[in-house]
Amino acid sequence: MNWQQVCTTDDIDEDELEEFEVGEITVLVANAGGEFFAYPPQCPHQETPLSLGMIDGDTLTCIKHLWQWNLKTGEMRDIAESPVLLYDVKVEDGAVLVNLEKELKYDYQ
Amino acid sequence: MKISVRTRGESFAFDCAAGEKILQAGLRAGFGLPFECGSGTCGTCKAELGDGELDQGWPEAPGRAYVKAERSEFLMCQASPRSDCSIGVRSKVEALPDDVPVPNARSGQIMKMETLTHDVCRIEVSIDKPTSFNAGQFMLVSAEAVVGQRAYSMANYAATTDSLTFVIKQVSDGGFTDWLFAADRTGIDLELFGPLGVATYAPTLPNNLVCIAGGSGLTPMLSILDHAIQAGHFNTYVGDLFFGVRTERDIYLLNQLKEFATKAPEKLGITVVLSDTAPSAELSAAHPELQFDEGFVHEATMRHMVGRWENVMTYLAGPPPMVDATLRALVMEAKLAPAAIRYDKFS
Repeated sequence: MNWQQVCTTDDIDEDELEEFEVGEITVLVANAGGEFFAYPPQCPHQETPLSLGMIDGDTLTCIKHLWQWNLKTGEMRDIAESPVLLYDVKVEDGAVLVNLEKELKYDYQ
Repeated sequence: MKISVRTRGESFAFDCAAGEKILQAGLRAGFGLPFECGSGTCGTCKAELGDGELDQGWPEAPGRAYVKAERSEFLMCQASPRSDCSIGVRSKVEALPDDVPVPNARSGQIMKMETLTHDVCRIEVSIDKPTSFNAGQFMLVSAEAVVGQRAYSMANYAATTDSLTFVIKQVSDGGFTDWLFAADRTGIDLELFGPLGVATYAPTLPNNLVCIAGGSGLTPMLSILDHAIQAGHFNTYVGDLFFGVRTERDIYLLNQLKEFATKAPEKLGITVVLSDTAPSAELSAAHPELQFDEGFVHEATMRHMVGRWENVMTYLAGPPPMVDATLRALVMEAKLAPAAIRYDKFS
């Protein structure tokens, strides 16, 4: 495990998404109703930044083609054709820690 | 020349003429290659060159920002082959569905050109072969005098027609529209490719229609409402059109909108929304068939549609910031499923 602090719980408003740089790795963090989740920064479809996406309850929606996922598990919903990948996350004393042992990437080929 | 395509798990090939764009050759052959704008902007049609040599086409295509040269990527909508080529495409490629007209190249001539506002005109183009298209689709249009192609939606509808109407807004970028607006272009030849686009209407849709347009995004809605009225859609279902522009001088085709409203009384509501000024009392009084409102078109849509989002098919067209703001409102506020929202993403 390689737990790295990516941000604090105050850095992201509720139901918003923010990108953070940790060394060479860009991580997208979601604050979904006070729970935190972390993903690679782009949509698995066409490299659109998911930071432009929307959070509604436990659904994450990409703004480009409205692909949707369960933001807690990455499972596809509705018209999505690929799942999103999730990093392990834990919150300690207001710090959002993400396990960056291995950078998660989509296979666009 | 032969283009051999390898995708996830399948491969196929088609012929491409010298000077023809690879995307157009593939679509013409019935392969659903990935694309959205088809005109060099969005980057969706990028592919990877294996063997062979390409002419890359329009050097300033904005979509080149998405292409990684070190991976031999290129835009299929811009590139033509110089030899037989093998290419890789990352997305799924499916045969075009049966109910979609197969796109093809057409030659056309501007028969009529008409000024609608200070920066919007309408052209009627006669084409060499009768063509079918679905309401809401667009054509790629080019003229010899200007580099590159632009995507324009048809503003009319007929099951098969040799006359296409386009409503075009001037965008001062030194490109196609600056050329078009500089003089009366009646009689000038155009090249067209299409029909293209997935934000289409079919009379079999069992839904109420909601059309949301910003600026020249009204054009495909004219085609959709034209077809829906012809098909008697509003005998069974209701419809709403929200047309957003900045000021009163940006409104166009009010008479056509009034005609639509008159043909489907009580069933089709049409609201013109001004973002920069309040609509004048004179405007409302002169057009009692229409409603007028103030604000951003997506906000007005949300206000007028409260409690009426059940069983809708929503169409959306306009400038990218308007499209994104409206998508956000439709998903987050109206709680629509993605399948209930149709639009072509051009950026």
